[in-house]
Amino acid sequence: MIFEKIKNLNYLVIFLLILISFIGAAGLYSAADGSYQPWASRHLVRFYVFLLMAIVISFIDIKIIYKYSYVLFGLTLLLLISVEIIGVLGKGATRWIRVFGFSIQPSELVKITIILALAKFYHDIKFENIKKISYLFFPFIILAIPFVFVVIQPDLGTSLSILILGAFILFLAGIRFWKFILGFIITLVSIPIFLQSIKPYQRDRIISFLNPESDPLGKGYQLIQSKIALGSGGATGKGFLQGTQSYLEYLPEKQTDFIFTLIGEEFGFLGTIFIILLFILLIAVCYFISIKCFHSYGRILALGVASNIFIYVFMNIAMVSGLMPVVGIPLPLISYGGSVMLSIMISIGLVLNVELNYNLKKLDNA
Amino acid sequence: MFYSDQKKQVSLYNRRTFILFLLKLSLFSAVGWRLYNIQILDSSKYKTMSKKNQIDLEIIFPVRGKIFDRNKVLIAKNEKVYDVYLIPENTKSINNTLNALSQFIDIDFAKRRKVIELSTQVKKFEKIKIFENISWSVLEKIETNKYNLEGIFIAEDYLRVYPYKDQLSHLLGYISKPNQQELTLPFISKMPNLDIGKEGLEKSFNPLLVGKAGQREIEVNSNGRIIREISKVDSIRGEEVYLSIDLRIQQYAINLLKSHRAGSINVINIKNGEILCMASTPTYDPNKIIQKPNKEYWESILANSLSPLTNRSIQGLYSPGSTFKMIVAIAALKHGIINIDTTHSCTGKIGFGNRLYHCWKTNGHGKMNVTDAIKQSCDVFFYEISKKLGIDKIAEVAKDFGLGQSYDISMPNQKTGIVPNKKWKKEKIGESWYAGETLISAIGQGFVLTNPFQLAVMTSIIASNGKLIEPTIIKSNGVSFKTNEKYSNEIKIIKKAMFQVVNENKGTAFKSRLENVKFAGKTGTSQVRRISLSERESDDFREKEQEWKNRDHALFVGYMPYDDPKYSISVIIEHGGSGASTAAPIAKQVFNYINELEV
Repeated sequence: MIFEKIKNLNYLVIFLLILISFIGAAGLYSAADGSYQPWASRHLVRFYVFLLMAIVISFIDIKIIYKYSYVLFGLTLLLLISVEIIGVLGKGATRWIRVFGFSIQPSELVKITIILALAKFYHDIKFENIKKISYLFFPFIILAIPFVFVVIQPDLGTSLSILILGAFILFLAGIRFWKFILGFIITLVSIPIFLQSIKPYQRDRIISFLNPESDPLGKGYQLIQSKIALGSGGATGKGFLQGTQSYLEYLPEKQTDFIFTLIGEEFGFLGTIFIILLFILLIAVCYFISIKCFHSYGRILALGVASNIFIYVFMNIAMVSGLMPVVGIPLPLISYGGSVMLSIMISIGLVLNVELNYNLKKLDNA
Repeated sequence: MFYSDQKKQVSLYNRRTFILFLLKLSLFSAVGWRLYNIQILDSSKYKTMSKKNQIDLEIIFPVRGKIFDRNKVLIAKNEKVYDVYLIPENTKSINNTLNALSQFIDIDFAKRRKVIELSTQVKKFEKIKIFENISWSVLEKIETNKYNLEGIFIAEDYLRVYPYKDQLSHLLGYISKPNQQELTLPFISKMPNLDIGKEGLEKSFNPLLVGKAGQREIEVNSNGRIIREISKVDSIRGEEVYLSIDLRIQQYAINLLKSHRAGSINVINIKNGEILCMASTPTYDPNKIIQKPNKEYWESILANSLSPLTNRSIQGLYSPGSTFKMIVAIAALKHGIINIDTTHSCTGKIGFGNRLYHCWKTNGHGKMNVTDAIKQSCDVFFYEISKKLGIDKIAEVAKDFGLGQSYDISMPNQKTGIVPNKKWKKEKIGESWYAGETLISAIGQGFVLTNPFQLAVMTSIIASNGKLIEPTIIKSNGVSFKTNEKYSNEIKIIKKAMFQVVNENKGTAFKSRLENVKFAGKTGTSQVRRISLSERESDDFREKEQEWKNRDHALFVGYMPYDDPKYSISVIIEHGGSGASTAAPIAKQVFNYINELEV
């Protein structure tokens, strides 16, 4: 049984994960001026641990995961809420919580459990009910609660990605197109109402976040330097470890959100396009698994995970290339940081699991 | 039913999955296009920006050019000085370092606070200047205790030094940081921290003296920390300037002037126009202006009512008094108003219009021809000839002899003075010329104003029989001047008279004659205020001790040797009394000194 599962694992996905993470490690090695410390070695160690974890997750009985989808969502939501409470008590904004000695960003995990919860919901309801307005209430709650708590952190990047992720999943589930337009308008209208209803210090945090001009050497400077790094890389780059922008400390957050520009500087347009192609391939494999799957749970789960990865990658590259405001979204498996890698690897583990169980018809009565 | 629902759901899923995948692909294409724009199309732009990012230009200041006198005596030099700096990141505790440093040099509370405050503002690797120009003994102590002084280091700098202090100050001027306006000048704008000439020759020769800045290309990181040197172009030292000034004569003249409150002595080499001496007192010490703190010294200069900053030789305007009579005499001879034998009788005064015009000799000189009138400086003779001559003809000759103009001698802010004529008065004052004013002008009073240097040039032209002397402050090598033949005959007569002034009995400067070398000249006494009738009648008004500022200015112009004139001189002692008693003896001493130097 287990050997069969090992045999049937999608090794293309595992190969892609290893390749992308190694590129990330190389970038981190360069960001540390040619040193495994402090980032590259930890990045690789984490990757190995989380890869093992992903494979273990892929072997878990999918019915158990299905059964506890709402519970898992509730638990991560509790973590998220406790972050906000700790933040209030500690008189400072925080996104982190320590679990078993690890610093974890619950907002990253909550995105995965949102996918699980929505997948379970649409798996369970009858096809004709999908179109009914009353059946939109529960998905709305699943998205709205984490969204509100992430916004007031304030983490606009993650809250935006929760919205987009929700939209992708609901679209796949069959929600009519005009409802998205309506939802978009409602969201726009509710922004001022929302800002009125939250506490002043929370409002201040969000407003100062949205107004980067208060810090001219901050966000604007970051963006200019990141474009210089990308542009000066040209077609083929300055060569590995030859990036002056990062070496001379012009690149902000070069090991996290802006690592893509460092790679772009050292490996040029070829390097950046290669990374994008790798992610497209990874996403395409998830799509393939989604299409192949017999049950809605697996379909929505695989496509939700693909969408989640897409949102990270797209927002990160759009941000560092100046297509989007700088909102603090890392590049999965390449940027340094445990939480994002953990959530990505868990979600990939879930997709692998879906593939191993693609031919199950129904999950609840089996 | 269920089956068809399932089928419908699957086809919906497939359709929507396909749409979503297309959407994602197109969004990825958008970022791909964006990257293509940045990394391929605009790459060269970002490449230069990246270069600029990492490469900084550091300017290496040039060393200012030296200035020498005509005998290659160094009169403006650069001395190596040592400044003490602190680099915050090199010390664990700034306080401890300052405490250790205070054993060797006094650090007051204000300075300590300023250094600590600065250390929090600047980047931790940036150096903070604590002391400038420290003494040798302090330098020695700091160097030997270097290991105790974490973060302290000593750097060399150059300080402009004028070894002859106040004796050349008006000529050389001084240097200082450029002001806002000067920062717009092209060669200064690149080096805003470089000292530039502010006065005198330091100012006018600044482009020559300043040299060429070098530069260092350095790689810097985003904090501005220097990573490595890429290239270096050394600075080029400013050019050396050799002046025409003879330091010995200059010093001699300054020392003579120092026994008076204010005055000026100018000596020109008639043969080549070289200015050998341009002395003006009171003077100032430019070293004290350059070296900080200079506030007290500045205040004392500004508070001095005699304005030591003024170079009286070219910026002081005086009535030329009787030294102007040569001009009037030449004009009268030239225009046939008089010839060498024409006489006028002096009774001490003449009436003209409804006014009396007095001669300095109350009882009159008797019968005077032009030679006698210059020799004894008879005023009445000049009143008489000017009546027929008119002011315009006098002005024309005055201009031909270099009055009323500035010279191309690289000295900033020359005052041109006034050579009045009818047109001038109409334009400047808006009134017609009164005939009486011609009489006053004829004895170098009234509107006529000259600076002492102009009088020296005028004398040079007379002495050289009309050569159009172009004075220079730079050591020259063989120049020839054009000769104005217009006044040749008249000048011969005048020169004889000027000889008699010094060398014949009754000459106004007879007491100042030299036995071994003959010189010629003319005294002048210019009135500072009008003398009232009652004073004039009280007979002894000239002998009476008058308040200094009301006393007349004493003037003398002359040249030496008489036979083959080589040096011309002008002397003005402000409120010195009379030219004969005060200015002529000084001219004699200077001529004698020059004569001694030549032997």
